Amino acid sequence: MSAEGATSLSVIGRRVPRVDARERVTGTAVYAADLALPGMVVARQLRSPHALAIIRSIDTTRARALPGVLAVLTAEDFPPLPTDATVPMGETGYDMWMVAELNMARGKVHWVGQPVAAVAAVDRETADAALALIAVDYEPLPSVVRIADAMKPGAPVLHDRVFTKGVEPRPQNPSNVCSRVVISRGETARALADAAATATISAEVDTAHQGYLEPQAMVAQVDANGFATVWTSTQGQFTTELMIARMLGLPQSKLKVVPLEVGGAFGGKIAIHGEAVAVKLAERCRRPVKLVFTREDVLQGGSGPAIGALFDITVGADRDGKVVAIEGTYVLDAGGLPGLSPSLLMQASAALYQTPNLKLTGSDVVTNKPRTEAYRAPGGIQAAFAFEQAMDALCQKLDLDPLEFRKRNASVTGSLMPIGTPFPSLGLTTILDRVGEHPCWRDPLSAGRLPRGRGLALGYWRGTSMTSAAHITVAGDGRPMVTMGPVDISGTRTTMAQVVAEEFGLSVDDVHVQTGDTKSVGYSDGAAGSRVARTTTAALVEAARDALGQLRRRAGEKLQSGIDDVSYAAGVFRTSRGGAISLAELMQATLTEGAIVGRGVSSKLPLGVEIGAHVADVEVDPETGQVTVLRYTAFQDVGLALNPTAVEGQMEGSVVQGLGWALTEGFDYADNGRLRNASLLDYRMPTALDVPRIDCVIVECPVPGVPYGVRGVGEVPIVPVAAALANAIARATGVRVTKMPMTPERVLAALEAARQ
Amino acid sequence: MSTPVTFKVNGITYRRDVAVGDTLLDVLRDGLALTGTKEGCGNGNCGTCTVLIDGAPVNACLVLAPEIAGADIVTIEGLSDGRTLHPIQQALVETGGTQCGFCTPGIVLSAKALLDANPAPSDHEIRQAIAGNLCRCTGYGKIVEAIAVAAERMRGGGA
Amino acid sequence: MPTLEFDQPSSLAEAVAALARDGARPLAGGTDLVPQLREGRRTPRLIVDLKRITELTAIRETSDGGLLIGAAASLSSIANHPLVVARYPAVVRAARMVGSLQIQNRASLGGNICNAAPSADGVPPLICLGAEGLVVGPGGERTVPVEAIATGPGRTALGPADVLVAIRLPPPAERSAATYLRFTPRREMDIAIAGAGTWIALDAAGRVTAARIVLAAVAPVPLRARGAEALLIGAVGDAGAFETAADKAAAEAQPISDTRGSADYRRSLVRVLTKRALLACREQILGPGAAA
Repeated sequence: MSAEGATSLSVIGRRVPRVDARERVTGTAVYAADLALPGMVVARQLRSPHALAIIRSIDTTRARALPGVLAVLTAEDFPPLPTDATVPMGETGYDMWMVAELNMARGKVHWVGQPVAAVAAVDRETADAALALIAVDYEPLPSVVRIADAMKPGAPVLHDRVFTKGVEPRPQNPSNVCSRVVISRGETARALADAAATATISAEVDTAHQGYLEPQAMVAQVDANGFATVWTSTQGQFTTELMIARMLGLPQSKLKVVPLEVGGAFGGKIAIHGEAVAVKLAERCRRPVKLVFTREDVLQGGSGPAIGALFDITVGADRDGKVVAIEGTYVLDAGGLPGLSPSLLMQASAALYQTPNLKLTGSDVVTNKPRTEAYRAPGGIQAAFAFEQAMDALCQKLDLDPLEFRKRNASVTGSLMPIGTPFPSLGLTTILDRVGEHPCWRDPLSAGRLPRGRGLALGYWRGTSMTSAAHITVAGDGRPMVTMGPVDISGTRTTMAQVVAEEFGLSVDDVHVQTGDTKSVGYSDGAAGSRVARTTTAALVEAARDALGQLRRRAGEKLQSGIDDVSYAAGVFRTSRGGAISLAELMQATLTEGAIVGRGVSSKLPLGVEIGAHVADVEVDPETGQVTVLRYTAFQDVGLALNPTAVEGQMEGSVVQGLGWALTEGFDYADNGRLRNASLLDYRMPTALDVPRIDCVIVECPVPGVPYGVRGVGEVPIVPVAAALANAIARATGVRVTKMPMTPERVLAALEAARQ
Repeated sequence: MSTPVTFKVNGITYRRDVAVGDTLLDVLRDGLALTGTKEGCGNGNCGTCTVLIDGAPVNACLVLAPEIAGADIVTIEGLSDGRTLHPIQQALVETGGTQCGFCTPGIVLSAKALLDANPAPSDHEIRQAIAGNLCRCTGYGKIVEAIAVAAERMRGGGA
Repeated sequence: MPTLEFDQPSSLAEAVAALARDGARPLAGGTDLVPQLREGRRTPRLIVDLKRITELTAIRETSDGGLLIGAAASLSSIANHPLVVARYPAVVRAARMVGSLQIQNRASLGGNICNAAPSADGVPPLICLGAEGLVVGPGGERTVPVEAIATGPGRTALGPADVLVAIRLPPPAERSAATYLRFTPRREMDIAIAGAGTWIALDAAGRVTAARIVLAAVAPVPLRARGAEALLIGAVGDAGAFETAADKAAAEAQPISDTRGSADYRRSLVRVLTKRALLACREQILGPGAAA
């Protein structure tokens, strides 16, 4: 089984090419927008032009009358939901009233771009023409687009069902502040007053988008029995199914969700933004319905971007550079509906530092902008931008090497997390040692004509486990056939093929892996929180043992031996008396005696927290503010790398996303709530010329009690990026930039402000 | 209004009535069911719809359907017969240069145009050639590596 | 777009006749027009594809050693043309900045000029080099300085049935050089926050005998910074003179603030880019070893 030294593994740990790479490079991989079903029609959603408005009425008469229009929907076509309806998801869950608002506003709109109606028509042109014929009578209201405006006394309260959570006694009046979280220990005020040095950073981070290249896309079909099938680009087919079912009042026995290839998601394709509407349209017009978002739909309110936020972080240390106190306030911009609680990102920002005194206060505030959703370690990169700059500024004041400073304060296994529970295994000090030995740290910064600097930043993300299910059947030729529940958004079909190949002692080519739909595999939570590889590994190890146990019994019968005398290795069952039968022969001989089905379920697997340390060298043009990233190295503890190529791919991709948000990406909202940069020209994601090669150093400190010791990988590599660049810019220029993205204009403004 | 056009895609000549306001991307995906070419933005800012017209990479979303009369178009489907991969495709498989795969068809074609014109490109030249193709998953490193490996193999060297 | 028609004339006369029809719009590379059509920003009734007309795609030397560039020739074909590379490197630079390679394989100088975006990268170097547009219309042929074509964002001095056929560049002057620099946050697929095209000629003593400075993205049209040019004439072309001219150019700019940048930032960029462009021109003329 598992957890032997890596050297004894034969498939796990290898750079196996993705099992689904060929279809990608030949353009034959099927994404939802590629589907064409007979009789399929086109759907489009009508979106609000107002940031906050009451919908007085919607007249769809003229749209319905347009030749070629088959159905028109508004909120009235959907059943009203009980106020407290939720769907479960992991440790939290989703309030259904919010999910409904994402698909079809009811009575009031809260952001520009929120859907208010939908049509199905014979072609795209007719659908667009029909949208133009829908007459919506809006009563626009004064909106609150910025956090500050939403928090002002007398600001319009956006939702009268939202009362600030975490405040005792429970407030009487609804508020735009959705929750308040306090995490504290010790006494920070006195500790800061007595500290040898303190540093404070106040930072502002703009909302950014996950930037997946594939816009939301889905096809829905309802058959003669009223059974609905939805093919969609989603991180979680089961969550999608739950949401559709609740929103439409459908029993889940009448609905199936089939996850197709996902052209990028990164947290933005967990909630449904149109699937329930597509099903309803399909039911109405009795034709398959395809709904594909335009890029403008995606950016201008049709999807959930990442949170923007305001931070104030103060840290203090004693003369020896030991952190004595951390204080922080975190105010998150939730967008038009309550979003993620600040708790996770608050804990993440401070987790890697040991300190007896800690006070973190956080809140999330609704504003009239699209409702925010997850984006790779949601809140992580934003909080680290402020927090890691504060730590860097502190060690500058103490004239301490930033690496040495981190070593003196590093959390270790058993240290207390901010919420007070002890860390399970933690390899931070190992990572810091590796940084110190690496040329990226030891090599002097190469000189250039323009100012250059090197920055270090740490990142932490807890991740989650939730539940994953999988089963293995054995084919007539003895080969294992795997059906896994979680959607593959990071190459997990390949790594799970490796796990099963390892368990069976076979080669990867002998294993078939597929992702199940909601009717062919057990319930699994969505692909998020860096959980799929680790939890599905656990589920498949259990399934493999189950299957091999059944096989060993059969082999024993065939070889006339008790099951305890049958051993298995590399495709062959043997008894101590010298009997042997191969897996293929066994299945050939016993296939019609009954299927072999091994099942496995993983639930609440012990966490393998993710930690990273990044080193960046930058060059700053002091006349234009342009920042060039010269060199970038990312260190990360992955527990055990199931597939180093896949791990590097996650790290390199995350880092480049972070570089984008750090330097050029950010939503620019006008005061009326319209997004000014709603195109990929002005929402600037990095091109191949904007970033260097990202060097990766994989560290392996396995997690005890988890099959193969695997940690989550995919989220933490974005967390330190903006801070690493900001620290490098500070070292290059002597100036800290505290607005993210650190656009050339903002960098220049910071440099000029400092010159005065 | 529609107009008849004759054009070649992946070596096959087609004669179709196309709507004047449709783009080459519409013709490929809807008209010919060649869905390997993707739509990421619809206005020339992402490169996922890159195809080759007379050997040159262009954004199919910016070409009006009637303009393709007489054109020799290559899409991702034209690069391999499904069994033997083009060296660029093979190298991407090996280096991990494809993750979600949405940008991959466009990138393969931009890379092909590069290597057809410049068999020994530098790292910078490779990045320049794919600078009009956004990738959100890989961070570009393994894509650049794959193109360099493919170039070497196509020159007759390398493993 | 149910009533949209398409025409592909093979001669100039046919093109002019087609463009005289109501609601006609010329098409070259389509990289501006097609998004405008799709987004409903332009609603023509007839699209006239100019790419089958030889005069519009040819690139050829003129009898005086200048160059005639077809208005519908692709930016890539221009940037790869040996004569353009040898004599007008500023045009190559600008052509290779527009959008991406995919865009450059379709987009044209004629489109760049006639789309009349204030940020058009192709226009400043053409104006710097003294380019003229050859225009054919219902009234016959005429020559229009490129500088006179754009009259406002998205508007030109050309009539609805006029065709910009070609751009004529004079032969490069002795001891002169031109360049174009722009600032963009990304290194590809971006649009100028500000741009500066410069052209100077130096005498044997290194004094500026002629100068043109044209700014992009900081005025309704590409802007000649004539005050800055005047300061250069007669001055020794050194870093000090260039800084003075650059300050003046920044003062002459009329930038607005929008999502791409604030007016103040654009003004700063004009100063930096103008200075750097002038220094680059000087280096082209005198060679890299010349002292600043």
